Parts: sequence; C-alpha cells; structure tokens
Amino acid sequence: MSIDVQHITKRFGDFVALDDVSVTIPSGGLTALLGPSGGGKSTLLRVIAGLESADAGSVHIEGTDATRLAPQKRNVGFVFQHYAVFKHLTVARNVAFGLEVRKVPRAQVRQKVHELLELVHLSQFADRMPSQLSGGQRQRMALARALAVEPSVLLLDEPFGALDAKVRKELRDWLRRLHDEVHVTTVFVTHDQEEALEVADEIVVVNGGRVEQVGTPDELYDAPANDFVMGFLGEVTSLGGRVLRPHDVELETGPGRDAAREAIVTRVLRIGFETRVLAETVQGEQVTVVMTRTHARTLELVEGMTVWLSAAPGAVSVAAPTGAAGGSDERDPAVPLAV
Amino acid sequence: MVESTTPVRWLLRLLAIGYVFMLVAWPVGLLVQHTFADGLTTLTATLTDPGVVGALRLTALVTFWAVLINLVFGVTISMLLVRYEFPGKRLLSALIDVPLSVSPVVVGLALLLAYNGRDGWFGPTLEAHGIRLVFDLPAMVMATCFVALPLVIREVVPVLTEIGDDQEQAARSLGASAPQTFWRITLPSIRWAVVYGVVLSLARAVGEFGAVKIVSGNFTGRTQTATLVVEQQYQNFQQDAAYATSFLLILVSVACLVVVALLRPGRH
Repeated sequence: MSIDVQHITKRFGDFVALDDVSVTIPSGGLTALLGPSGGGKSTLLRVIAGLESADAGSVHIEGTDATRLAPQKRNVGFVFQHYAVFKHLTVARNVAFGLEVRKVPRAQVRQKVHELLELVHLSQFADRMPSQLSGGQRQRMALARALAVEPSVLLLDEPFGALDAKVRKELRDWLRRLHDEVHVTTVFVTHDQEEALEVADEIVVVNGGRVEQVGTPDELYDAPANDFVMGFLGEVTSLGGRVLRPHDVELETGPGRDAAREAIVTRVLRIGFETRVLAETVQGEQVTVVMTRTHARTLELVEGMTVWLSAAPGAVSVAAPTGAAGGSDERDPAVPLAV
Repeated sequence: MVESTTPVRWLLRLLAIGYVFMLVAWPVGLLVQHTFADGLTTLTATLTDPGVVGALRLTALVTFWAVLINLVFGVTISMLLVRYEFPGKRLLSALIDVPLSVSPVVVGLALLLAYNGRDGWFGPTLEAHGIRLVFDLPAMVMATCFVALPLVIREVVPVLTEIGDDQEQAARSLGASAPQTFWRITLPSIRWAVVYGVVLSLARAVGEFGAVKIVSGNFTGRTQTATLVVEQQYQNFQQDAAYATSFLLILVSVACLVVVALLRPGRH
C-alpha cells in the first residue's frame, strides 16, 4: 500500500479540520479526494506531504513512517492550486530545481528537464519566464517540476481549480493520459465531482473532517453510503422519504404503479436536450424530475397538470435525512467509516 | 481623476512647485553655489584637509558596518515577522518602529547609558579587556544601526507578505533544505525590496548626526564623522569648508536617490 494514513487529527484553533481520519491509498492508482470546500481534503493532502503537521495519527509512505519527516525528506511531488511557480526562474530552471538542490550532475539535469518538458508539451517554452505562460501551461510546468524528482507519490491540490472550464477539461483528460504513461501513485484534491468521476480510479469522499466513503466512481455512484455522498456526486431529489436522482423518477400522466404518488406540475423548464419538471406531491414534497425533451413532449406536460411519480425500477436511492429533503447539515453526525 | 478647471490646476501646480522650491531646491542650490563660489578652490582645499578626509573615511566605515548589520538583521527579522507566529510578535513589530519616532539624540543618550564604560551593563567588563564601545566605532555603528533599523524591514515585510509562502513550500516539497530555499527562492523574490531598503539605510546612515554625536564623543580627528565635521567647521566660522563638505554629503544622497529612482519601476 502506497500511502497509509491512520487516525489523523488536525485542529486549527477550535476548528477540527480532520477528525480521526484513516485511509489507505493503493500504489500506482489515481485517487481523488473529493469533498466540499472546508471539508478537510486539502488539509489531508498537506498532512501527507508534510506541509502541515497532524496533531495525532501517523502517515506511512511506501512503507516508511513519514509522520515526523520534513517535507523535503518524504520524496513527494506536490502541485499547488495556484501553481507556486518560481517567478524568477525560467521554465527549464523551474523544472530543474528539485534536481539542482539534489546536486545532480548538470548534463543529467539537462537531459531530464528536456524529457519532462517533452512530456508536458512545453519544450518550446523552456527559456521563457513563467509569467509568459498561460495558466494551463504553468500548471503543466509545475507538474513537470514535481515529477522531476521522481517522487514516490504525486499530490495535487485542486490542480485545475484556478483555470477556466475549457482548459480544465483538457488538462483533466491530459492528466489521466499522463498518469497512464508514468504510473506514479497520484492523489488529487477536487471539489468537482465530475472531475473526480471522470479521472480517478478511486474516490475518497471527505466531508466535515471525516471520510464518508471510499470506492471506485461506479461504486460511489451506484451504492452511495449515505445521502451526503449521493448528493455530492450528482443532483438529487426526494420522493416518499427516499433520496434519488431526478432522472430516476418516472412520471406518468395516469395512476399506474402501486407506489406512485400523485403530484401537481408546478413548473416545466426546457434546458438544452433535457426537460426538468418540478412537481409537488399531495404530501407536500417538492420533486424534481429530469427527462429527455422528446419524452416530455410526448407527455404534453403543462403547469398545473396532475401526474403520478414513482422511482424507476432499479433506481439507486438512500433514506432521506430526517426532516426535509437535501440539507446534509441537518443529518445526524455519521459514524466515521472504517476504511 | 476629478476634472478641475485650468486655473485651479495651474494654481495647485504653482503651489506645489513653490513649496518644494522654497524648502528644498533653493537652500540646497545656494549651498552648491557657495561651494563653487571660488571655482574648485574650496572643494579642493576641503578634499585635501586630512580632518575632512578622515571624517569621510569614518562615515564610510560606520555606514558600511551599519548597513551590513542592518541588512542581515533586517531580512532575518522580516522573515520572522512574516513567516512565523510567536508570542510577542506584535510587540516586536511595534518596537521596530521606535527609531522612526524617537529623536536620534535620545537614541544616543540611551545607548550611552546602557553601554558606557563606567556603569553600563557590558561596558566595564569589555573595557577591562581593552574593548571600548562608547566614544568609539562600535557605539557609532550601533547608533547608526538603531536609527536605520526599520528601513530594511519596512521594505521587505510587505513584499514577503505579498509573495506568500507558496514558492517556499514548493521548494521544500522538491527537496530543498531551509537554507537552499532561502538562497534560491526567497532572497531572489525579495531582492529589489532588499536593495531598496539598503539604499535607504545607506542614505540614512551617511546623514546621521544626533545619535552619533552623543555616542562618539565628537573627538576631532578620531570619532568625527562627516556630519559632525560640517557642524564643527560651521561653528569655527569655516563656512566655505562646511559648504564643501555638505556638498559631498549631498552627492551621496543624490546618488542614493538616483539608484532608488532606477529601482522603482523594477519593483512592480
């Protein structure tokens, strides 16, 4: 096992950033730490890197106890959200930094830098200053810089968070391809569930300083441990005390199934290829239904119409939190999952 | 920008220029004019006077040490203030500004009281071993360091705060030790602020009068810096020599101003 974090607790004053977190990250994989802002995922990453020291618990990297090791002794590559480029050094010197401080012979450094710049497609920018690069290029440079020291693990803190949507998507695909090429154990922090689902082999959902669930994207999507995980991984609505995906709600214009609930259509929104129908059940529940535009047209939906709603056969659902739909804050504190 | 009518603009311009002219340009110009009243004679005579040359040399020596010490401690204290949390940090930060508000004469007296050879804390012991602090170079350097203390720190602290510690953390994660991080990353990032602070310290150190006068004892030919010589020449009715020596001090200030002016665009 590549990274083994056991019972890590970290407080900033009164704020508990990490509350007895234990998680094991396998070698060679691409793992996402997914969760809302302030949930502790970045802190966890920084504790692994040694940039933050934990109040309690242990960190093992590749079998070595790194709990008390200084960051420069952990052989960890770290990529920061805001790139942390060395502004006064050229792109090539930035990438060479880790090798230069290790007193690697010059010719070898040049060779390695050349290979890495090739890998991140920045060869033609080797002699530029970082300020002459775009955000995406800077982040690729930062990645090459981190890879130069041949780290045993590569840690990326919201690597694409500061980039615009299009570049972000490109870099995301690129990271996946890069990882398939270099196979270094990689952990990246993100609050974007789409990013995590698309790129990661495994996702660790972190919230409120705790690990909510660990699993592959499919496991998390198909078998969420609780309503928080379900809600964080995609849109949810509630129907009859269950939380489920809006596209898993079946809408019929006549009472058919047993469990179907009668509801009044309050709004019909057409957004691109899909249609969102907002309906209020007789019991007073607000339900969102998503269907294709074509389907909506055949049903001839209009506001004020009476419809019957039920969960589609095989739909994934979890128990709704006590009280109203959504609102994960109202939920009873969950027991942290042993991972 | 607020649009103002042409006469108002002219009035404001005249006021500003007039103010600076009456206060700075005219008096300084007069001094230069007096220096060269008899051509280069006064200046040459002053430059060949061993008393003046010695004083200039002493000023250079005191300035060199004060600026060097101030540079090392200034950068260290700045790092401490920006990068670390410790009890008493606010007090330290406030103490650093004391030299800006306290009169140099008071600084001189305080140093004299603390380090004199008769009842100071270290003075008697050191003097027993033949090392004199007060009325000699060490105290003059100390006094100059004191008055120039905030100049490097107040330049470096905002820059250090602005650049943040991202780059330093990145360097550490890439395997750099603390000294390597400082020399390769931190110092190059703050170099212009450091140079700027050094130039300001230099100008301040060269011009220091009050504190140095008290702790040096003002012994002619031995502990007299250039500014002290100017005062003495003036009091001895050697006005021309005083003007000429002042002119040399002005040259240093102008050189400093030029350096600062050249650096300013580089800071942004």
